[in-house]
Amino acid sequence: MFLQLLFTGFGIGAIYALVALGFVLLIRAASVVNFGQGEFAMLGAYALVIAVNMFHLPYWVGIVLSIVVMAGFGVAFAGATYWPLRNRGGLPVIISTIGASIFLENMVLVLYGPNSEQIDGLFDNPGFDIGPVFVDSQYLSIIVVATLLVALQYFIFERTLLGKKLQATSQDKEMASLLGIPVAMMILITFAYSSALGAVAGILVAPILFVSTGMAALIALKAFAANIIGGYGSIPGAILGGLALGVVETMGAGYISVPYKDAFAFLMLLMFLMVRPQGLFGEKISEKA
Amino acid sequence: MKLTRRAALASAAAVSTFSILHRANAADTLKIGVCSPLTGPAAEVGAIQLNSLKLSTAEVNAAGGILGRQVELVIEDDATTNPGIVLAFSRLAANTDIAAFIGSIRSTQVNAMAPDVEKVGKPVMFGGTDPTLTHNGYKWLFRCRPNDSFSARVIADFGVNTLQLKKWALVCSSDAFGTGGQNALIAALDKLGLKPTLVQPYANQQADFTPVVLAVKQSGAEVIASYFTFEPDLAVFARQVRQLGVRVPWIGSPSIVSPVTRNLAKNALFGTYGIADFTPDANDESKKFTAAYGKVHNNALPDSGWTYDAMKILARAFNDAKTTDPVKVREAIIAIKGMKGTEGTYNYDANGDGLRGYNIVKNVDGNIVYDRHIEFDS
Repeated sequence: MFLQLLFTGFGIGAIYALVALGFVLLIRAASVVNFGQGEFAMLGAYALVIAVNMFHLPYWVGIVLSIVVMAGFGVAFAGATYWPLRNRGGLPVIISTIGASIFLENMVLVLYGPNSEQIDGLFDNPGFDIGPVFVDSQYLSIIVVATLLVALQYFIFERTLLGKKLQATSQDKEMASLLGIPVAMMILITFAYSSALGAVAGILVAPILFVSTGMAALIALKAFAANIIGGYGSIPGAILGGLALGVVETMGAGYISVPYKDAFAFLMLLMFLMVRPQGLFGEKISEKA
Repeated sequence: MKLTRRAALASAAAVSTFSILHRANAADTLKIGVCSPLTGPAAEVGAIQLNSLKLSTAEVNAAGGILGRQVELVIEDDATTNPGIVLAFSRLAANTDIAAFIGSIRSTQVNAMAPDVEKVGKPVMFGGTDPTLTHNGYKWLFRCRPNDSFSARVIADFGVNTLQLKKWALVCSSDAFGTGGQNALIAALDKLGLKPTLVQPYANQQADFTPVVLAVKQSGAEVIASYFTFEPDLAVFARQVRQLGVRVPWIGSPSIVSPVTRNLAKNALFGTYGIADFTPDANDESKKFTAAYGKVHNNALPDSGWTYDAMKILARAFNDAKTTDPVKVREAIIAIKGMKGTEGTYNYDANGDGLRGYNIVKNVDGNIVYDRHIEFDS
């Protein structure tokens, strides 16, 4: 039972981690907490449903199209929610993203209706047994893709010029601008990447949760909690925070109480806020200053 | 008699006034307030129930309406939430022209709106199956489906006496509906001399049911009995039950046979049993309703007939009472006996319960096959 719960916890945690990663990128690049991050996942999943179920495109083509479309959508989202308010501090932008998330959810509801959509997983085989553990192929895909994306992210940020520019932008926009880095372009790229990441999370989770307008809220709240637990704005923190959250809530449900599953996740968040408010990898503001 | 000019004018004015008033009265509709989940997790089934209600209303209107007036539905979105339905009902209740209401299929929502229903003092037809809703002293709630004390008794009776299974795992939502069903199941099994091997509540709208499935597996249960509130939850659970190797019979509350659930879960539900208050081929009324629904909605199947029946019951009660006076209409509803509906034969008692039995159905390769009807006297 322990190993099964652990595997499932990692699978669920990897979903939180992917969405949390999108949160972190925008916090780092544009100092924006984007509450539309869950909607990126929802829209990515709907894009896949439209491509595969409606237009009967091959699954992999649907995935690529969804990611590309969502990357473009990220730029449009930035133009609508971030750009007009970028010089007015953080709060107006946060409220703008909350408004946009409500708008997007309701827009999909109007356009696509309230029906949950079923979509097949990446593989025909639902999974396989390793000893007493059933390895769900979709959960396994999520864990593998999350690992690859973290590795890719590390490579881009640490080993490429684009990554250095993005980091410079996130650390000090004025200085980056003085050094000739196109700050606006860097921020738009971050929005596009963040949106694409959300789409990947939505695509991966769609066969498990089904595709509905409610799926965004289910993921985004936990992903945001993962971000706080891991350390506000920390990339490794988002990954570890997401995984820890997934494992803790699954283990708590398995060994203590199923109805209080969500409570374990938020209890963990509360404990971190009380004992280690900077999270696993965060810096205290005073130290940063 | 000589008709003076003044008398002629007065007569003409009187005739005109009477004519205008008469026409106004004929055009005046009888309004029924409807709290419906237009949005939120129950929006899918809510749309089907609203379609059924509109179909029934059209039939009532075609047959002359209620008290000679055409019926008009006033619909408010309850957003599938408790605050949502309280707000929706308060909006409707503010319209004093509304003579009666149709509430929710979700017990938790009916529970939330019940205190306001009592204050308004007009009949509310509902589909929630928590037995306590009609046993808490609420005078104005009238159920159009059998309550869970019967559903639980049917599940227990079928599992114990027909399938001959003794070790039960109960998986129920922790909301009012699920808890009501869970308690009723425990009581029904107790009457048959059994105690459940596992009682496992869960919170609604979960992404993963692995801990629940593992608990069932470890309990050594021979049969699963379930009360799921939301169809996507049931579909996720069904898939994981199969994936994690649980191969025991499963008898579920009506959501297990809903078209929405079957569309999401697909083969994960093959071979499961369900109890269904509504089955398209269970009786003549349900057959007629299913045919009419399919004709209007592109051969789609309705998942329940309670809203359809609710309008017919209200029409009969208003016409029997010959007034819109709520007290008289309430008495007329309680007096309804032997009224054939899509959900069964309605015999209302003083509590507001009209039905006492369920159909047992089986999911055979995605098709719902009627097995038997189990009815109790009380």
